[in-house]
Amino acid sequence: MTISSTAPAVGGTDAMADARLGALDRIAELGPPTRRDEAWRYAPHRQLGELTFGPSPESGPSLSVDLDSVVPTLSGPRIVVVNGAVDRDRSKLASIDGIRISTLGDALAERPERVAPHFELGDVDDVFLAANIAFGNDGAVIHIEDNVDLDIPIHIIDVAVPGDSPNGTCTGVVVHVGSQSSATVVETRVGFTDAFGGSNIRTSVTLDADATLEHIVLQDVPTEQIHLSRVDVTQGLNSTFRARSFNLGAAYGRLAYTVHLDGEGAHADLSGLFFGFGDQTLDQQLDITHAAPNCTSRQSYRGVLDDSSTGVFNGGIDVKPGADGTDAEQSNDNLLLSNRAEINTQPRLEILADEVACKHGATVGQLDDTALYYMRSRGIPADEARRLLINGFADQAVDDVGIGAVRDWITHRLGHDDV
Amino acid sequence: MLHVKNLTASIDDKQILKGLDLDVGAGEVHAIMGPNGSGKSTFAHALAGREGYDIEGTVTLDDADLLEMEPEDRAAAGIFMGFQYPVEIPGVNNMYFLRTALNSVRKARGETEIGARDFLKTANEAMALVDMKEDFLNRAVNAGFSGGEKKRNEILQMAVMQPRLAILDETDSGLDIDALRIIAGGVNALRGPERSMIVITHYQRLLDYIKPDFVHVLVDGRIVESGDHTLALHLEDHGYADFVNTDLNDAPERPLTGAPS
Repeated sequence: MTISSTAPAVGGTDAMADARLGALDRIAELGPPTRRDEAWRYAPHRQLGELTFGPSPESGPSLSVDLDSVVPTLSGPRIVVVNGAVDRDRSKLASIDGIRISTLGDALAERPERVAPHFELGDVDDVFLAANIAFGNDGAVIHIEDNVDLDIPIHIIDVAVPGDSPNGTCTGVVVHVGSQSSATVVETRVGFTDAFGGSNIRTSVTLDADATLEHIVLQDVPTEQIHLSRVDVTQGLNSTFRARSFNLGAAYGRLAYTVHLDGEGAHADLSGLFFGFGDQTLDQQLDITHAAPNCTSRQSYRGVLDDSSTGVFNGGIDVKPGADGTDAEQSNDNLLLSNRAEINTQPRLEILADEVACKHGATVGQLDDTALYYMRSRGIPADEARRLLINGFADQAVDDVGIGAVRDWITHRLGHDDV
Repeated sequence: MLHVKNLTASIDDKQILKGLDLDVGAGEVHAIMGPNGSGKSTFAHALAGREGYDIEGTVTLDDADLLEMEPEDRAAAGIFMGFQYPVEIPGVNNMYFLRTALNSVRKARGETEIGARDFLKTANEAMALVDMKEDFLNRAVNAGFSGGEKKRNEILQMAVMQPRLAILDETDSGLDIDALRIIAGGVNALRGPERSMIVITHYQRLLDYIKPDFVHVLVDGRIVESGDHTLALHLEDHGYADFVNTDLNDAPERPLTGAPS
């Protein structure tokens, strides 16, 4: 990874300007990740090295495509970001009582304090996060006051149309859900053109006491591109974070989640599906930190890998001293459809508290020959039986997505919308 | 209707069926009984088309060469096998599975596919036959079913598929007497002049409920005795000892008579 400019993005407070300069220094110090970095072990390092990042354009290229045909049909508010810049014509920034939806650019100009944590450099050791801090100054900001129940999902669509230099784009998403409030945010990531490039999206989530957020990521960028997603979550007392991720596109599709359970009784429930073909590498990086007592966390991921694709599940549970009464579970079930496909699954548990219940398990299987025979003996042709079995496995990750339009999009994308 | 001639089946060079002959006419119910390991289930799978066997001989159904067909083509030709151990398929809805199965064979036969409403009617009739509640259709195929529910699901599928020839492999195994009655009731309701059945069982008990036209004794890969239903009663009293030849391949080696010692 290289940077195409030593001039960082602008906007916001002096502290943010300092953080951006610090981020540029950090990029130079860290350099690109290598195989020795556990969290990047299976990434395509040569391709990552070819990514360049720089300031986002004032506006992205105008799209000549029908965006609505490639994203779920959701009727609520939406923000469309193209190459790191909000496309206002395609966005619907509806104002709803108790909810403020704005662009990150506007928030930096008008209320930078609301997005201050998003730009804190801290001890960042992820070079792409440093790049996002340095160059990402547009995207979406969702601010939900206390005691608001929003029953329509907010849709954030990120479109990557890589140019020559930089070929990488940075987008920021900031979500704050106030006390006793609940909301659903869907982030759809798509792209156009067959040029090489990458999107680097950083989402910061803060949940106040008793807040609930359902956060869905649909990653379906072209297989020529790199997709780097990082979701950082801080949870307050008794809050609930439900993440549903579908990692489908990209040459390298990386969905990383860092969840801090800082308030007692908080609950994090992360699940997802990765479904790879060709030479794709689909990487799930999860780090859940139990920093308060009596929190619960769940990680439940399914992988289906065909051809020469590679899947990665690297799931961490970190229980800090004093986080007594922690209840954490993790599972990763995989279906390999080809003898060239590969899955790397690894649990990482560090437990420094008492009265902790932690469970983890992983399975790797192939299509069940007996089940195929059983279905064929009922007249179902071999190809169809195979498809039914694969979909049956994958659908168990789709079933608990509450929004019908999102479920339909996923099943259509997986090629079985007739079920 | 079904003609089996000199059928042999081997797996990993171990011969299991050693020249089996059987003729089943339209509307007939044939019971095949035999001790464990005699080849009963292998015979059923050889008819249904399971891969992994080396098979020789001829099997025709209504003059069509069954052994040349894939399992799905045999189903389209009218074969249905009720499994001894029905397979669990998590994530695949029972109703969707059944409708896909039915429409697959209809399509293969050049018939129109059945619509959702008509299918539901068919499925409801089939469920009534085996005393199943409606939520049964909304569960995943056999996943988490009790032993009895799995066997009832097999008969339910048979009722929906309306096969020409049903092969029921140890459908009675693992059933209590009430479940056995329900299943036998379902099977009997599906008997008809154009539908033949091969009922494979280890015990005579099932045949109290499903009365066969013919009973065959399968020992060491061959049919060694055939008769009417009284043969089953004989087996119940005397076991298979009368039919188990001391020349079995797996019998202990003994010196040949008259050989020098």
